[in-house]
Amino acid sequence: MLVNTTTNKPLPEITDQTRPFWTAAKEGKLLLQKCTRCGTAQFHPKPWCVECGCRDIPWVEAKPSGTVYTYTISRAVAMNLAGWQGELPVLMCLIDLDDGARLYGQVVQCKPEDIAIGMRVEVVFEDISADAAIPKFRPASP
Amino acid sequence: MTADVAIVGYGRTPYSRAKPGERVYTVDEYLAWAADLALQKAGMSKNDFDGQGLGVAHAEAAHTVNWSASVAETLGISPQILIRADQGGASASAMLIRAAALIKAGVIDRALILGADTPLSIPSAAPGLPLSPERTRGPYWDFQGPFGLMGATAQFALIQTRYQHQFDVKPEQLGKIAVTTRYHATLNPQALFRKPITLQEYLDSRVLSDPIRLLDCVPIVNGGLAYIVTSAKTARTLTDKPIYLKGFGETNNYYHGSRTAPDVTTTGFAKSGPAAIAMAGITHKHIDVFEPYDDYPFIVMMTLEDWGFAKKGEGGRFVAERNMNFDGDFPLSTDGGQLSGGQPGGAIGGFAPLIEAVTQLRGEAGDRQVKNATIAASCGFGGIPYGRPGRSCIALIFGTEA
Repeated sequence: MLVNTTTNKPLPEITDQTRPFWTAAKEGKLLLQKCTRCGTAQFHPKPWCVECGCRDIPWVEAKPSGTVYTYTISRAVAMNLAGWQGELPVLMCLIDLDDGARLYGQVVQCKPEDIAIGMRVEVVFEDISADAAIPKFRPASP
Repeated sequence: MTADVAIVGYGRTPYSRAKPGERVYTVDEYLAWAADLALQKAGMSKNDFDGQGLGVAHAEAAHTVNWSASVAETLGISPQILIRADQGGASASAMLIRAAALIKAGVIDRALILGADTPLSIPSAAPGLPLSPERTRGPYWDFQGPFGLMGATAQFALIQTRYQHQFDVKPEQLGKIAVTTRYHATLNPQALFRKPITLQEYLDSRVLSDPIRLLDCVPIVNGGLAYIVTSAKTARTLTDKPIYLKGFGETNNYYHGSRTAPDVTTTGFAKSGPAAIAMAGITHKHIDVFEPYDDYPFIVMMTLEDWGFAKKGEGGRFVAERNMNFDGDFPLSTDGGQLSGGQPGGAIGGFAPLIEAVTQLRGEAGDRQVKNATIAASCGFGGIPYGRPGRSCIALIFGTEA
């Protein structure tokens, strides 16, 4: 596991397959793989379209907005690194993006008592290393 | 498949929390220990499996790539066929299905099936946690760990929150499952946590990841388990209590709905449970003992729904209405389950429900024995896919009659 030793949080191992996602995130863009044959948008990255098996699945920019499908309020660090301690409680969600994929994402700038299924959220990026940023989410501005 | 094969022996080593000062057994030692117990129970020798089948579950403590072949060497067994499952908590059940098919095809007559792991003693990628290096590599990890996901508890909490949005389940109903498993653990000398708990203690236990509490979570242990499966013909020469495999169902990577936006409130048991029941030629009411894969009470409740004991959304009510004690009207997790019994890692815990089903049907369950049990069901549930519950959902039905 790669670790950011300053934050004591895990870092992804960036491969040629996933580099476009991390690089774009550094530039404030959210990319998904989109199948050229059936149009499925998917996350996390796969080697082909999980619906139709087409390997032509270029990265495309997705609308940076979605809806909370479900959430949990993590109150303790588990199976992760201690650097997350400083962010507890972590509002971890599954977000249904408007462009069709579902992903794990932390909701920030939100009180634990306000998080709810169906909440509209928008992406905010957080740099986690010189090479990568991760999408987080915040309640959408009205 | 009905009654072509039978289980003739089983073994479960003592579990260890690897506390300071304890003798720490290696995964190899646990494998031999569990095998020894199963062989003794069956009245067999390891040499009976030369030229036959050997099954080995993948383990996080596996110390070589070709694990099952390596274990054969470690134990001095020369099998014709190696069976290996890497389906986590479904591995034990998966290997029974594979062995049964090989036996029915006449390729082998018998197989020794092993699983052991030492998750508390492997090098961890994070200090103080059973977080093995293999859990923290590849795109599955890269898009979860760095995003702040807190392991299985958070993953299942997300599923439970969604379930509670679509349906109704009360904390008291899930707590009843936890209290029941703990009661059964008090009756099982091999269980890990044997001090009874009350529903209030469950409700008062610390919330780790809403809505999952500490007493919803399975305790990790080191340990090993094993069973022996043979043709029905051979089984009858070995024991007067062969336990026949009557039916099975298996799903892997099940999606309820589309692959990109599935409904996460239904597991693969919705297919594998009814399939096993149909193969066995029984109905739900014939099942005398039910041994779910109980890593969390909420998973138990969903499992009951998906098998068809209750309609979707009514699992909580089913739990509330039934008496799940060993002497009740729906005996469940009669060994204390994994919740109170202990889980030898995500890869091996699935041996326990299978072995307890066999133990009950053989009438060897001591103080927790279900009277006159003739049909038992057990579950394998392994792996957590991205954003969904349960990669592998395996349903098994056992019976005392061929």
